Amino acid sequence: MNLNDCHNFDDFRILAKKKLPSPIFHYIDGGSDDEVTLNRNTDAFNDYDLIPNVLNDVSNIDMSTTVLGEKIDFPLFPSATAMHRLYHHEGERASARAVEKMGTIFGTSTMSTVSIEEIGQINRGPKSFQLYIHKDRGLTDNLIERCKKAGFTSMCLTVDTVVAGNRERDRRTGFTTPPKLTLSSLLSFALHPAWTINNLIHEKFKLANIVHMTQKGTSIDKSVIDYINEQFDPNMNWKDAEYCVKKWDGAFALKGVMSVEDAKKAIDIGCSAVIISNHGGRQLDGSRAPFDQLAEIVDAVGDKIEVILDGGVRRGTHVLKALCLGAKACSFGKGYLFALAAGGQKGVEKILEKMKSEINRDMKLMGCKKLSELNNSKLIYRK
Amino acid sequence: MNLQNCYNFDDFRKLAKKKLPSPIFHYIDGAADDEITYRRNTSSFNDVDLVPNILKGVENVDLSTTIFDKKIDLPFYCAPTALQRLFHYDGERAVGKAAQKFNTMFGVSSLATVSVEEISSLINTPKMFQFYFHKDRGLNDAVMERVKAAKFDVMALTVDTITGGNRERDLRTGFTSPPKLTLSSFLSFALKPMWGINYLTKGKFELPNLQDHVDEGTNISTSIGNYFSTMLDQSMSWNDAEKLCSQWGGHFALKGVMSVEDAKRAVDIGCTGIMVSNHGGRQLDGSRAPFDQLAEIVDAVGDKIDVICEGGIQRGTHMLKALSIGAKACSGGRLYLYALAAAGQEGVERALNQYRAELERGMKLMGCTKISDLNRNNLRFRNK
Repeated sequence: MNLNDCHNFDDFRILAKKKLPSPIFHYIDGGSDDEVTLNRNTDAFNDYDLIPNVLNDVSNIDMSTTVLGEKIDFPLFPSATAMHRLYHHEGERASARAVEKMGTIFGTSTMSTVSIEEIGQINRGPKSFQLYIHKDRGLTDNLIERCKKAGFTSMCLTVDTVVAGNRERDRRTGFTTPPKLTLSSLLSFALHPAWTINNLIHEKFKLANIVHMTQKGTSIDKSVIDYINEQFDPNMNWKDAEYCVKKWDGAFALKGVMSVEDAKKAIDIGCSAVIISNHGGRQLDGSRAPFDQLAEIVDAVGDKIEVILDGGVRRGTHVLKALCLGAKACSFGKGYLFALAAGGQKGVEKILEKMKSEINRDMKLMGCKKLSELNNSKLIYRK
Repeated sequence: MNLQNCYNFDDFRKLAKKKLPSPIFHYIDGAADDEITYRRNTSSFNDVDLVPNILKGVENVDLSTTIFDKKIDLPFYCAPTALQRLFHYDGERAVGKAAQKFNTMFGVSSLATVSVEEISSLINTPKMFQFYFHKDRGLNDAVMERVKAAKFDVMALTVDTITGGNRERDLRTGFTSPPKLTLSSFLSFALKPMWGINYLTKGKFELPNLQDHVDEGTNISTSIGNYFSTMLDQSMSWNDAEKLCSQWGGHFALKGVMSVEDAKRAVDIGCTGIMVSNHGGRQLDGSRAPFDQLAEIVDAVGDKIDVICEGGIQRGTHMLKALSIGAKACSGGRLYLYALAAAGQEGVERALNQYRAELERGMKLMGCTKISDLNRNNLRFRNK
């Protein structure tokens, strides 16, 4: 199997599984506890059916939309995810280039392995920075300042990670601190020599944005879980969020909002968007799937703030369904990460192309020429 | 696999399966008929979603709750279960000490293998006694007196075992009366020599809370099903329950209430709590899961007595959901029994610690700092 054989999410996932040492694959692939929420995130879309219209002249389709202050070519963008160089030696360089080429927003994580400044040079398109509030407030300020200088176009504050989720696959595979080399994980690294060699011969793995600020998190041998629990501030509150909104003074999203109440507060503190997300099922298992919760939030605040759906998106039709319920756009993480692992920049370009052409085809099959024609009359909940 | 590899309910179950002779494992693991209710008890939690709140400042979380006027540090406790020394030679001693360490309630069964007096001398944290209503009224009175003298805090009358459930796994494995040594059960005992050695060398197996009165219940060779069917009084009525309640004169609960009507009558006869339970799916198969029925009961009596959700709980998030609906606390048997079988007191402590960690993490991710912050606004019922 190679990149030419990858036609959908599952194919990229299978190729990524082949290429990555198992602890790393399972770090992407896994969710928390029993992975009930992880599975529901995608299953939720299947409880709703699309109702197409016919004979509507669909020779020209406009898939563009404006979200987070930027016009993008199609209503899907990669959400910010951590540590791309773990998945491919070019890391965020590969994904940032691919995303610019495809004309959508690139999300950069606080825990990126390429620096804010370098991303700013590589990718001249719309860029969003994903911010965590650290106990050390100087670090948060510093990140915001640097993003401004580097030309980032929006800021996303993650609010669903006050404590790390219980990712049991990581415990078993040894994706932990210090790296627990079990017989099987050792074997797995040995069986994926290309990954291991690339990881060794290219520059040292580091969390490029925070490497100067903290001794923690500078090496793969500090696990993400420990980093979250030690560095992020569990006392983070609305005042802190408001402070960041003011300091950034531009398009600002809260990522991980799930309740109407919180979406309303996001408006009050001056956010321009909320990202409905449960962190890809990696945090609170048993929590509601974004798509299940979308209508409630759109109905309450959709006319005042951009609502973005994140989580479980694997198909163009998933995006269409979310837009029917009133989402402005969707974002996804696992899909493009598997593609990155499977084929670097080419892989990410390929999955974005696939998703874009699916959305295009599905729009035509729905009889819709532009995104604003999608609405909840074209969607039926099956029960 | 060993205790260090146990991160969740399923892991403990697997380790218990490895350690126990199969008839004993299946006695814990099995349930009635087709085990539909048993499975629904857990899967019911997955039809309800949590909706978290954010930016609440959640560094310190208080998991304590008050049930039967006793403050416990965790919103769940060890439900009374029978025959614990069958599962690990320390039996109730191990579970009681672990419960004390976490300052939560410890439930002791009528069919416990350690006496109420010994439990009482062993731990000073809240204790509940689970009462079976026997045909022999002298036995009933004597048990009441002994439990009172041993200073237990709560008396819970089990009302869902008026006759034994149809536990087909027990019929097949030979966990029956007299013990049916099939080839496979014989092999299974032979293949777990440590269990056999501990069983034979660590003190005689007995039912000390009953043994002065009955022969039937003192030996493993009477099955639990037989015990229910021959020893317990099937004519037990609301009158009897009311009498027991006033005879006890303290906190009194009915264990196994499933209807609103019965919950209301429990209030009327002076109960201070009820356990919404179907006996872990081990009695009436096809009966409703406690979590499915919880809201209805809480709505009717939740402001008058403590409603406890029991059955199917395997995760901290399951407890969060039950507490959000209005349960005062949760309880479970398998919740700690597999861990007991896996590693005695150390196992139970590890299990309790994991549930506590899951609850604390779940509370933070929900944006809640105390149990009373949880409510139904934070839940969505998916299939309604």
